[in-house]
Amino acid sequence: MEGSDGAVIAESLETPGAFGVIFDRHGSTLLRFLARRVDPAEAEDLLGEVFRIAFERRSAFERDRDSARPWLYGIAANLVAKHYRSEARRLRAMARASALRASAARLLDEDPAERAVAVADAGALWPRVVDAIGALPEAERQVLLLFAWEELSYEEIAQALGVPVGTVRSRLSRGRARLAELTHDAPLASYHASYHAGGGR
Amino acid sequence: MTDDLEHLRRSRPDRLLPDDPPDPEVLAREKARLMAAIAEPGDTARGSAARGSAARGSAGERGTGERGGAVHRRTPSIYPRLAYRDEVAALEFLTRAFGLVERRESRMEHPDGMLAWLELGDGVVMIGRAGEERHGLHSPLDAGASTAMVNAYVHDIDEHYRRAEAEGARIVTPLEDMFWGDRRYEALDLEGHRWHFAERMPGTRPRPPSR
Repeated sequence: MEGSDGAVIAESLETPGAFGVIFDRHGSTLLRFLARRVDPAEAEDLLGEVFRIAFERRSAFERDRDSARPWLYGIAANLVAKHYRSEARRLRAMARASALRASAARLLDEDPAERAVAVADAGALWPRVVDAIGALPEAERQVLLLFAWEELSYEEIAQALGVPVGTVRSRLSRGRARLAELTHDAPLASYHASYHAGGGR
Repeated sequence: MTDDLEHLRRSRPDRLLPDDPPDPEVLAREKARLMAAIAEPGDTARGSAARGSAARGSAGERGTGERGGAVHRRTPSIYPRLAYRDEVAALEFLTRAFGLVERRESRMEHPDGMLAWLELGDGVVMIGRAGEERHGLHSPLDAGASTAMVNAYVHDIDEHYRRAEAEGARIVTPLEDMFWGDRRYEALDLEGHRWHFAERMPGTRPRPPSR
């Protein structure tokens, strides 16, 4: 259980069983990520897929990297993208659950005031946020959620998605602008105008 | 930290529903499966891969028996390679505007060009840089014409059309219902490769076979 992920993965090229350490270190994080994004049952299946893909591709991992986490996130994000129907179901279920909790909190008045407000607030906002997340282009949704939900750095997101850091920045700012417009019910015209003026990139 | 992402942060599912911890049994079970797959790359891995991708199409399986081969990935027996002057921009555009999904783990990056594999349903398209020395493949920008069309079926053609148009695809044939039961449109990508997107509409039957 010692050594960087890079060292463990290098060792697993000779001794495949060593790869189990990578699962021990990151399995729980990746399961949480997947459970936030797709149906619970699907998240469990995809967890296995992530690590099987990672195992097969381990020779491509740059062994001087300390952490395999961004790389695993990249594999998982890719699988989520292929299960967009499950992702949409997950979002709808969360919208319903949060709306229920919000009304229950108001009715029962059990929660400490601050928490009740937060829950109610999130409950009111969530359907709009759900729609906005669902309406984002894939590339922007991935970057935005890796940043806001998974709290990865720009560099980690760049590693995960295999794009330059500059691309992460531009996708994030595009996604933020679009999210702000979508959640505030603003027309998209200005976004598209600026987008096309920017030459399509 | 208050900023425009605060709402998004607070909307993270497990903050709304904190009673959603990772299940240690799930972790133990999936680790056991992983270790079994590692120990027996032949059977176990493919068995679980079939389980994981049961919903996918029936494309032929390649790599059977290859050591460390494509256990979970099915590559169709036939798939096109498209050439671009700027294959990185093409990758970004095709995923954003047309909803293709990259097999991220397959990407090969070289200083003189990147190769990427993109999926849509059970189909795969390979993209790379154009050039005489690259299989003699040219971008329509250089050839002055497109000489092939990629046909793809999608799940929600109206939404697909809306997004493609909003993201800057050049629509060359508008969305229309065809007599054989497809609803379809055609669009050009950044460099002029032609794409045909369609959805089979319910309630249509294949024509009876001609005698």
